[in-house]
Formats: sequence, C-alpha cells, structure tokens
Amino acid sequence: MAKKTYDLLFKLLLIGDSGVGKTCILFRFSDNHFTTTFISTIGIDFKIKTVELRGKKIKLQIWDTAGQERFHTITTSYYRGAMGIMLVYDITNEKTFDDIVKWLRNIDEHANEDVEKMILGNKCDMEEKRVVSKERGEALAKSNINIERAFSELAEAILDKTAGREADADAARIAVERRPSRAPPARACCS
Amino acid sequence: MNHEEILSVVQEKFLSSELVTAFLCDAKVLRPDCVKKDRLLAIVEYGDEKAVFCLFTSCYPPKSFTDLSIEIVLPIDNSFKCEIDNKPSDPEAILYLNLQSRNSKFKFEIQMTPRVDNFVDDLFRGIEAVNKLTTQPEFVWLKKYDGQREDDFIAQSMVLPRSGMAHTQVSAPVAIRESLIKRKMSDKEFDYTFTKRFTIFCGTWNVNDKSPVIPLKGWLCVDKEPPDIYAIGFQELDLSKETFLFDQTFREDEWYNAVRTHVDPRSKYVKVEIVRLVGMMLIVLIKEKHMSHVRNVVCDTVGTGIMGKMGNKGGVSIRFDLHNTSICFVNSHLAAHVEEYERRNQDFRDICSRTRFVQPNQLPKAIKDHDQVYWLGDLNYRITELDPSSVKRMVNENNFGPVLEWDQLKQQHKISNVFAGYTEGPITFKPTYKYDPGTDNWDSSEKNRAPAWCDRIFWRGDNITQLAYRSHPALNISDHKPVSALFTSSIRIIDEEKYRKVYEEVIKQLDKMENELIPQVKVDITEIDFGTVRYLELQVRTITIKNTGKLPVEFEFIKKLDESSFCKDWLIVEPYKKCICADESCEIQLKVLINKTSACKMNAGTDKLYDILVLHLYGGKDIFITVNGTYQRSCFGCSIEVLVNLNIPIREVPVGKLVELESKRDQYISNQSTYSIPKEIWFLVDHIYLHGLKEPNLFEQPGLHSEVLQIRDWLDSGSIDPIPGSIHSVAEALLLLLESTADPIIPYNLHPVCLRASANYLQCKQIVMELPEFRKNVFLYLCEFLQEALQHNAENGLDAKTLSTLFGAIFLRDNPNVVQEPQSRINKQIIDKKKAQFVHHFLINDHSDLIFTK
Ligand SMILES: Nc1nc2c(ncn2[C@@H]2O[C@H](COP(=O)(O)OP(=O)(O)OP(=O)(O)O)[C@@H](O)[C@H]2O)c(=O)[nH]1
Ligand SMILES: [Mg+2]
Repeated sequence: MAKKTYDLLFKLLLIGDSGVGKTCILFRFSDNHFTTTFISTIGIDFKIKTVELRGKKIKLQIWDTAGQERFHTITTSYYRGAMGIMLVYDITNEKTFDDIVKWLRNIDEHANEDVEKMILGNKCDMEEKRVVSKERGEALAKSNINIERAFSELAEAILDKTAGREADADAARIAVERRPSRAPPARACCS
Repeated sequence: MNHEEILSVVQEKFLSSELVTAFLCDAKVLRPDCVKKDRLLAIVEYGDEKAVFCLFTSCYPPKSFTDLSIEIVLPIDNSFKCEIDNKPSDPEAILYLNLQSRNSKFKFEIQMTPRVDNFVDDLFRGIEAVNKLTTQPEFVWLKKYDGQREDDFIAQSMVLPRSGMAHTQVSAPVAIRESLIKRKMSDKEFDYTFTKRFTIFCGTWNVNDKSPVIPLKGWLCVDKEPPDIYAIGFQELDLSKETFLFDQTFREDEWYNAVRTHVDPRSKYVKVEIVRLVGMMLIVLIKEKHMSHVRNVVCDTVGTGIMGKMGNKGGVSIRFDLHNTSICFVNSHLAAHVEEYERRNQDFRDICSRTRFVQPNQLPKAIKDHDQVYWLGDLNYRITELDPSSVKRMVNENNFGPVLEWDQLKQQHKISNVFAGYTEGPITFKPTYKYDPGTDNWDSSEKNRAPAWCDRIFWRGDNITQLAYRSHPALNISDHKPVSALFTSSIRIIDEEKYRKVYEEVIKQLDKMENELIPQVKVDITEIDFGTVRYLELQVRTITIKNTGKLPVEFEFIKKLDESSFCKDWLIVEPYKKCICADESCEIQLKVLINKTSACKMNAGTDKLYDILVLHLYGGKDIFITVNGTYQRSCFGCSIEVLVNLNIPIREVPVGKLVELESKRDQYISNQSTYSIPKEIWFLVDHIYLHGLKEPNLFEQPGLHSEVLQIRDWLDSGSIDPIPGSIHSVAEALLLLLESTADPIIPYNLHPVCLRASANYLQCKQIVMELPEFRKNVFLYLCEFLQEALQHNAENGLDAKTLSTLFGAIFLRDNPNVVQEPQSRINKQIIDKKKAQFVHHFLINDHSDLIFTK
C-alpha cells in the first residue's frame, strides 16, 4: 500500500511563562511521558510527531521555547516561520495568565500575520489550587488529557487556512479555544 | 535543470562546510548481482579531506536534497585507488570507473560526457593531495555518513539538515521516510493481511494470422467454476507487412471481442488491460467484483525480432497489484527455427532484462519484482533428436514421456538455461504444433518436422497450484492448438483495521527514531559569571559541550536577529564552530577583555558586561549561554571632559553618577570644571617630566603589562603612594589612557580638515585654536611636554618624526565604530603621514602664543 508518509509539515511553537509546563506538554505529546522535576529550558528545542487529520498525514515540528524573562528578546526571533503558536499558562498561577496579554503582543510584533493561535491552561489536575477561573481550553501534561486534542485542533486550524477555507465555528471544536488575533483574552472573573 | 542547479541541490545534501567539488549524474553502480542501478557520484571536500559519495536519487533530476540518499562513502585516503577501463568498441562510449577505498570496491559505469573529465581530474587531484600529506587524514566528518545498520543509515539522512526555524525552511527528506515506511510495512505484512485463493486461467494460442471465425468456448469456458482472472495471450495475430511496419491491425478488436464474448458467462468480467506488439497480444480480464482492488496496472512490450528490436518476436506483459499481491503476466513469442534454442534462451533473457514497468514516483519494476509471474506463449522449442515418424507414433499412442525427454525446453529448463526459478506442470496433452489448419492432422508439408510442444505456460511464486494444463484440439483453424492452464493462487488481502494499527505503530517508531536522531548535547554551564572584570585584564572561563546523541553534531555560535556578530566585541569564543563526534566533548573558552574600544562604552553605560550567546546545533536545538560580570570602572575609557570634572578617584564615583557625567560631557565649560586638563594625564606626564626625560628609548620601549595594571589601580584609587612601575610602563599607561578616551583629542569630525591642512602650519594652528576647550588644553600641554622631551634627544634618543607619527595616530585616531572603506595600503600610508605632519608642526614650532592667548 503506497500511502504517503505525510502531506504537510506544520511548524508549531510553544510559548508562555517559565514553569507553566511547556516542556512537559511537548514531552507528553511526543513521547507520552512526564516528569515532575523542573528543568527550565535554556534555549529552544523541538520534536516531531506525525498526526493524521482528515485523511492527511501531517508532520508537526513543535518548538519549545525558554519561558524565562531574560530570554524574551531572543525567543521572539524564533516566531517567524511558525504556523501555529500555543500560548500556555498555569491555572494555579495568576501571573502566568495575566502575562498571556504580553505574549499575544509579542506574537503580533514578531510572528507571521496569519499565524494560528491557541491558548491553553495547563495543570488542570490541581483543581484545589486553581486561581484562574475555568476556561474552555485546559489541559494536563501530567496525564495526557486534552494534549493531543489541543495539537490536533491547532493543526486543524492551520489546515483550514491552507485549504483556503474559513475556519468555521464548529461546535465540536470548542474544547480548546482559539482566539481571534488581536483581542486579548476576555477573562471571566474569579474570586 | 542545468548542471549548476543540480549541483546546488546536491550541495544541500551536505553541510555548508562540506563542499561538493564535482559530480556526475548518469553513473551506474554495478553490483555483484549484475544489476545496474542509476546513481549520482559526487566528490565532497571538507578542509583538505575529500571523499567520493554515491547517492541514490529517487527522481531524476533531483529536485531537492530530499530526493537524494547517501549510499556509499569512499574516503580518498592513501588506500584509495581509482582505475578507469573503457571499451573502445562500445559505440556509446562507456567508461568503467573502479574505485577502491579501505576494504570496499565498487565499479561504476559512466556515460562519456565532457563532465567526466572534470570529475576524473578532481578525483586525481584529491588522490595526489592525499599522497603528499605526511599524516593521514582522519575523516571525522565522514563518521556521520558511515554505514551502520541500514536503518540508522536511512534514518540519518532523514535528520533535518539545518533548522533554527527563524533562519531557514525546514523540510525532512520525505522520499527516504517513504521508502523506510514501505519496507517496514512490508516486513510486517503478515500482521495485517490474510490470504484468499483466487483462480487464474491462463491461455495461449498462436492463431497463425486467422480471424476468430469459430467460438472460443471450448478453450475459455471449460472449467467447473468461472475463474477470477483470465490472462489470454495470442501470437501471429496478423502476419501482414502493414502490421509489422506500422503496428496496426483490425485483428486486435476481432480477437479481443471474441475473448469477451466467450469467457465464462456465469460471471461478469471487466478488462484490466490489453497490450499488443505486432502479432503478440495479451488480454487480462478480472471478475468485476475484484476490480476495485486492482491497482498500479502497467504494461510493457519488448521486441526481440529482426535486429534484436523488432516486434515480430518478443514479449508483452501486464502487471498489477491485486489487494496486496503483485502479479505479472507475460506473453512471449520466442525465436523460431528448429535448431535455434539458444536464440530462444536469449530472447527469454532479453525479455526479462528489458521489460520495465514504469510508474510515476517509483522505481521501475522488472518481471522478477513480482509475487506471482505467469508466463505463457509460443515459446517455439522443438524436438530435434528424434526422427519425426517415431515422435508421431509415440504421441499418437499418448506415450509422451520418451518424447518429452527430448523436448528442448525441458532440457534447457532442467539445466537452468531458461526459466530458472519457474515451474511448469506435467504435460499430458499432444504436441500443439504443427497441424494442417482445419484438421487434427500433423502438418503434411514437405518439411516433415517432428511435432512439438511450442505453446507452454510457466509460473513463479509461492502458494500457486496448477489445477489443469491442457490443449484444446477442437479449435483447429490455426496450425497451433490453443493451450490453457488453471491455477489457484493465494492473494494477500489487507485487513484495513489491522493495517491502520500497524501503520500507526510504524509511524510512531519512525517519529521516535527521528526524534532520537536530533542532535543532543549537554553543556555543563549555561550561565557564566566572570565576577569582577578590570580594564585590560583578560579573564577566561571554560565550558564543556558533550555530544550525548547518537550522531556527530556540528555546533556554531550564531548571530541573534539584527546583530552583526554572535557576541559582544569584548568577548572572544574559541572555537565558535566545531564538529563533535558522539560521546565526545569539546571545551570552549570564553575570554573577556575590556580594552580601549570597549571601556568607554562601559563607562558611558551604552554597554554592559552581559550577553546571551546562541549555541546552535545543526539540525537541532539552540542553547542560550548567558555571560555576565561586573566591570570595575577606570579612568581608562573616560572622556577628557569627565576626567577634568572628577575631583575624587574614579573608584569612589557611584556607577550611576559616572554614566550621568558621561552623558553630559558636551556641556562642561572651563570655569565650572575642576581642572584644565585631566589630573590622570598630568600625573603621568609630570612623572615622566621629573624622572624620565632622559630615559633611553622613551615611548619606544614597551612597559610591563603588570606594571601598567598597577598604574591603572594607582590612578583609579587616588593613591598617595609614589607611582608604581618603570618610566616605560608609565609612558605606556599614558599612551593607553589617551587611546581609550571616548573620543580622540581631536574630534572625529575635524579629521578631514586636519588632513587637508597638514602641510600648512598656520591652518593647523587655526584648527587647534578652535578645538573644544579641554581637548585643546590636553593637545597643547602634551605638545609642550614632547618639545621638552625632544630637548633631551641626546639621552632619550627621540626625534620629532617618530614622536609625531606616534602621537599623530593617537590625537587623530580612527573611529573604530565606523566601518572603514577598505583603504589601499598606499592610501593609509598617506593618511598616516599627514597625521604625523599635522602633529609635527607643534613639536618643532614655538606655539606658546596659543597657550597664552587665554
Ligand atoms: N501538577 C502538574 N504539574 C505539571 C503539569 N505540567 C507541568 N507540571 C510541572 O510544572 C513544572 C514546570 O514544567 P516545565 O514543562 O518544565 O515548564 P516550562 O514551561 O517548560 O518552563 P520553562 O522551560 O522555564 O519555560 C514541572 O515541575 C512539571 O512537573 C501538570 O499538568 N500538572
Ligand atoms: Mg521548558
């Protein structure tokens, strides 16, 4: 059977504050494993994974970036060329959520104009420590909840775009939310 | 695509440091199994090492480096040998290149083109060069291409060539992954397929130029069940000259329609393919319900007739995939004439070697590349060793055994001269040739030849059982009788569900492999703190990069966006680029030195002892290395204007204050300033004036570095001890101090005017008079001092020329931040001369009038 290995190559980028779990998300997605020890990323790294979407084999090349403040000016230079960007925050850390606005601004300044964006709240296992009210897009690197789904949906959104079709508001696709480009995320208030 | 375009594609296959110096497109590697394979040969140079690469190309010409995979690597070392044979007789001018390196030997067939000369020249240059070397090259760079396990090898070429997503486009070599997947899937075929038996009917008939005037039912429709597949071959469909020359005949439709009409009516059949070459025609039909599982139908024809090319003899074939099994049918008409069995053997071999099924994006397939082959036709082998009458007698008695012993085909097959690997079922029918047409009587013409089994069916492949092998004498319009065989064969069918699972597993494995092959290193320190760094004091730190991946990695410190260099000018990184073999480490030295060009930026706060370096791994990640330290500010690097305003030692000035002073340096005016010249300059000059005017080689003999540093500390801390160090060290400190000020004594914007005026003392004087207040003071003060020093030239050996050259270069020093036009040496000499000339006026003329104008 001569099926093609993959039809498309998508470059995705993970950004967000240090410690929100970007590296864990990448490892969960590519190797399906998780560690609790925190080794902050000092640089940028990538892994590949082939997924199938709508009968198309898509190779995802996912770049993990350093979240530490001091690297911000350098990491923004890697935005160019990314087709999808996943902004990650930690639901137990309010600042990481507030900073999403800052990250979005960085995207506006440095990424391709038509880049697909997705916001992902991580660590949703720590419900008792939740400080950010429940958003629609949440995931858990610790036990592979919604991680694959998040990547598939991001890839699907890119696919929509490459197919030249308008991304329609598909009800099945709201588990992880993609926001329109410039609008900062509207936050539901929390007490 | 022209040669250059292909070259750039080939070059992309390699690292930028590995240069493709020559290549050849149409080379064929000759394997021990005698199969010729099209390859591309390239000579690649790395430093002074060269190697020959043999690359497989999945399409020609290669459109991207992903179409290429490296198959053979031959380092050109002193074991390397190259011999060239040619066949002068060969009209197509073929060369044979025998290459040998270490223990491998390869033979390549090359088309003689003008490019070959270049290639061979380059090859011999490489050999000569290596033989001149005293030490043998190590070829470390080749390790990454070395044949390990084949998987690894393929996977290696799968590794992304260059990434850093901001820098270049990344795409993985799809073709290689593709072929790897195919192989893995075929290895696991049994995990996702099951078999089902199909019946296959093969028929062959030499119709001797007749039209189908009789029904064919008695040939095609004689079995209990309708077969799943029909493969029907005809020979001598049309013997007319027109057919032979123009390959056109109405008989094609006649016979095709006759076959369609007379196949088993209990099933519905559809055409898979029909192919004809002159009189040879092959029709393949399949039950309609199977047609959706038929893919990749391709046919080919080979003529072996007149001149070895014409289609009066030869073979026509059809191949296709049925479910997961590949099937090939061949119908051939081999050379005639009783004695010519060698010709027939040769025809068979020619058909085998020349039949090529070409499909887009795939390597061409040969007959042998199929799971099942059914070969039918008028193979034309005869019986020559028995006299015709006894043959006729025995076959009439159905006593075939003794006759078959003398059948040329049985004999040739037995000794594998023909149909090696193929099987034929037992023959239990009368010879099918030669009859008087319209009868069952043996040919009554004068030739009186023995009857023979010309029409035969062979097969090749596993799990094929022949159910019947027979002739059909009732169909008697030709001088041949038709023959047929019925087979039941195992066809592999894909279980879609299982296939998906296995496929996903394979993809996962490949992703894993690819991820593991991304270069990996460990860097022991990513944050380097140099502690306190002082002016002109070199500090060194070492970091270690260990290659923890499976392949050699090449690293390089790369520029950040919008920066012209990968690190600040006060930092030196050695080496900044290197290849590390797996499990090996590389030490990198980082050296910090704040010198005359960087000190002023530190003082002014326009630069800090802080930098982030990007360590890039080719095909892999980037690592950020942070460098920082605390710079201890010094009077070296301060502007004249700030120094005249500092009434305390610089060490006691808070950092922020110094930055503030530097930022306002243009606003100072004399009546508010503490000194008219910097006290540091005064200290040094005064010291020389008092103790060193008679020092031999004053300003020419260098001082001691350690003493210069002591003098630096003495000045910066406002010590009340005597100045440390020798006169020469003090003189050097003075020169350094003047060289490290943010601006030269004569501001950059005045330099062109100075140079133009250099021959004219009055004009020079005019310029000096208009200098900013403190610069003018320093300039005149120093000139005065130098005139004093020249008074003692008998002792100190100074002369005005030397001094003016030295100080000309200091007073009018070039701006390091302006990229200089590449000046010719002559030009630079002229400028230096003019600078000296400018200063010279002030060393030989009395200019006390300038000092006292104020
Ligand atoms: N409980 C919980 N902990 C998580 C989860 N995901 C990540 N973590 C933890 O969060 C810490 C930080 O994770 P990383 O993935 O290294 O953080 P990062 O975003 O890559 O940080 P930088 O590399 O500095 O930008 C680790 O200690 C993880 O164990 C999660 O889903 N649940
Ligand atoms: Mg990380």
